[in-house]
Amino acid sequence: MKSTTKLVLACLLLPTFLFSQEEQDSTATETSTFNKFMDNLTGSFESNAQWYLNDKETGRFEEDEHLRANSYLKLNYYFLNNFSAGVQVESYAPQALLNYDKELNKEVGLAEYYINYRTDKVDATLGHFYEQFGSGLILRAWEDRALGMNNSIRGGKIKYTPFSFLQVTGLYGSQRRGFDVSDSEIMAFNAELNINEIVKSNFFDQISLGLSYVNRNEDFTSTSTNTEKIEIPKNVGAYSARLGLSFKDIYTNVEYVMKDKDVRLNNIQPNKVSFSENKLFDGSALLFNLGYSARGFGVNYTFRRLENMSFYSQREDKNLINNPTNRATLNYLPALTKQHDYTLANIYIYQAQPGLYIENYESPRAKAGEIGNQIDVFYKFKRGSLLGGKYGTKVSANLAYWAALNVKISDPDGIPYFSSDNLTYESDFLNFDNKIYSEFNLEVNKKWTKNFSSIFTFIDLHYNSDYLVEANGAKVDAWIGVAEGTYKFGKGKSLRVEAQHLSTDDDARNWLGGTVEYFFNSNFGVYLNDSYNYEDSPIEENSKIHFFNLGGSFTKGATRVSLNYGRQRGGLICVGGVCRPVSKNTGVTLNLATSF
Amino acid sequence: MLLNLIILPNIAQLNKSLLQYLKIMKKISLIVILMITSLSFSQSQALETSIKTLKGETTSLSEFTAKNDLVIVSLWATWCVPCKNELDAINEVYQDWQDETNVKLVAVSIDDSRTVNRVKPLVNGKDWDYTILLDTNNDLKRALNTATVPLTLIVKNGEIVYRHSGYTPGAEDALYEELKKHI
Repeated sequence: MKSTTKLVLACLLLPTFLFSQEEQDSTATETSTFNKFMDNLTGSFESNAQWYLNDKETGRFEEDEHLRANSYLKLNYYFLNNFSAGVQVESYAPQALLNYDKELNKEVGLAEYYINYRTDKVDATLGHFYEQFGSGLILRAWEDRALGMNNSIRGGKIKYTPFSFLQVTGLYGSQRRGFDVSDSEIMAFNAELNINEIVKSNFFDQISLGLSYVNRNEDFTSTSTNTEKIEIPKNVGAYSARLGLSFKDIYTNVEYVMKDKDVRLNNIQPNKVSFSENKLFDGSALLFNLGYSARGFGVNYTFRRLENMSFYSQREDKNLINNPTNRATLNYLPALTKQHDYTLANIYIYQAQPGLYIENYESPRAKAGEIGNQIDVFYKFKRGSLLGGKYGTKVSANLAYWAALNVKISDPDGIPYFSSDNLTYESDFLNFDNKIYSEFNLEVNKKWTKNFSSIFTFIDLHYNSDYLVEANGAKVDAWIGVAEGTYKFGKGKSLRVEAQHLSTDDDARNWLGGTVEYFFNSNFGVYLNDSYNYEDSPIEENSKIHFFNLGGSFTKGATRVSLNYGRQRGGLICVGGVCRPVSKNTGVTLNLATSF
Repeated sequence: MLLNLIILPNIAQLNKSLLQYLKIMKKISLIVILMITSLSFSQSQALETSIKTLKGETTSLSEFTAKNDLVIVSLWATWCVPCKNELDAINEVYQDWQDETNVKLVAVSIDDSRTVNRVKPLVNGKDWDYTILLDTNNDLKRALNTATVPLTLIVKNGEIVYRHSGYTPGAEDALYEELKKHI
């Protein structure tokens, strides 16, 4: 591993040596060459270390390594005007933080490398790259370190813009999986056409069209002994068409995706990957968005229907018990609900339900996808108006409703528990009856004086735990209220106090929470927050325990250091609409991030 | 008091893992320290990264900074409360800042497809006066080596001259002091 790292560094340094040979006579130029090299080099370093402690309240830390760190070093070097090259070295020492992908299993390893050539018309990359087609429904390669998500593609990509109104992209490669890549090849094409640059429309301000194709080529090894099994396709493709329009203050876009037929997971033993090889199933996605916005007012409506749309580089990764961190997903299917910041608002969070899962264990059930919609409204009461007061009042509201697709199973063999390999299903196109999540939230943002402002939030939610987390027959109806106030003392000193309450008769019942945060100046601050479940409930693991955090952070320029001591509630942790389960833990966390 | 709740783990084991961690940090820290000490902000090339306008046209920050000598760039997201607080706070004084320094603010949203449709109504709902651009797959965020948002930059004549991450109430005053150095 050491040698690879050295090799890469050598490659990065090579161009400088070439330059310096040309100018080796003068020491002055050597210095400037060094400066020139440094000017063209950028990068970042991030390390997140955690020291897991035993906890009298929640128990001993059961695993071997108490001190762990995930670290990332990224270097980019720009040279010869149009070129750049870079590496990302990652370290999980002595092993990855709790709940990260188990494929991230090296103490230090070269995780990514690339070389890129870019002009006005051409953008070509060899090595690891990121990409997104349209809204990501068909393809998205991205990185989120907080989630342990990195599904970049290793291979080649070329983006060509022959005219200002047309851009085409072609790519080929294998998707990253831990420090390695998947056992499959991805080939994908995309075209983006900006029509109103060709036909100047008097009515529309924007007419754009997008077309994409993504193909996964993966061998299938049969494990089924069923005599009726059929051949499983090596190539599974997906096709997307998109249209975006805007006229004056109104805008809309619509996208439709079709996914080729593929084999479905067999769940007789949920932690063991096997497939039902007798029948194939195709998938689809429909996304529609409509918005209107003018000064002081905005409204946006989104509808989405997903059926059998989870799409992984390797079929086996579709088993979420073995792959809780969603490694090597090809597309991006986030929950379309409001993303919350407050701790108590993050207990019952919706996670999108895109996949086809016939669950033939415990309570048998067929899940084929989701359908739902949400609407957002933003409004500002003007300064000086009755509700606006001296500084104006900002109000935003969101209403979201999500249902599971309604499916009818047909089983020619009549075997109980949905365990037949010949099972097929039919789904309703527009049926919102099987509600699995709904939420209404209202946020009022009010500045009272030059130095004092406050935010009030109200959330009312319904969470179908039975469907979403397999909690037999359970559901949660809850409301959450949050009030926060910030006072500025001047010269960067400020105090923020936040109080939260979650009320429900279900699950672990009521919670009380709060935060106090004080900034000494714009660089240095400390905080304490706590969530406490104060009512007796059958959910003992969360009852009468303080889930607290206390810590501080220091920021200077591009460097940020934070230290935190606290107890983390087990459950789903969601960032950017993607969630992963985390186990309860207590410990000290040190985060360091800098860029140069 | 809180520390009393905890039984300290085996010290020998801690030492072992601490040493291991430090060993690995040593390997990379040399490079990092070398970088930090020998250069300031040399990320101006990142400004050329392709991003989109609200109408879906491709553009870049360098296109924007070519037209304006003094620019504040803010990387933000609709789900990031401190980001919105910063942009709200600046909006209150933006007119004064523009009169005195001729500065333009460009707010680049890093919202991905989950939340990007909220950008336009939110900006209008908040009555912000900024130029809004979209970095939907975070290409610019990566090119700027950004760990967290908000990230605030001052760009003078196409060069990044100041960089700050995070927002605390009142930090806009410090930003303005910094801005005045670059008129």
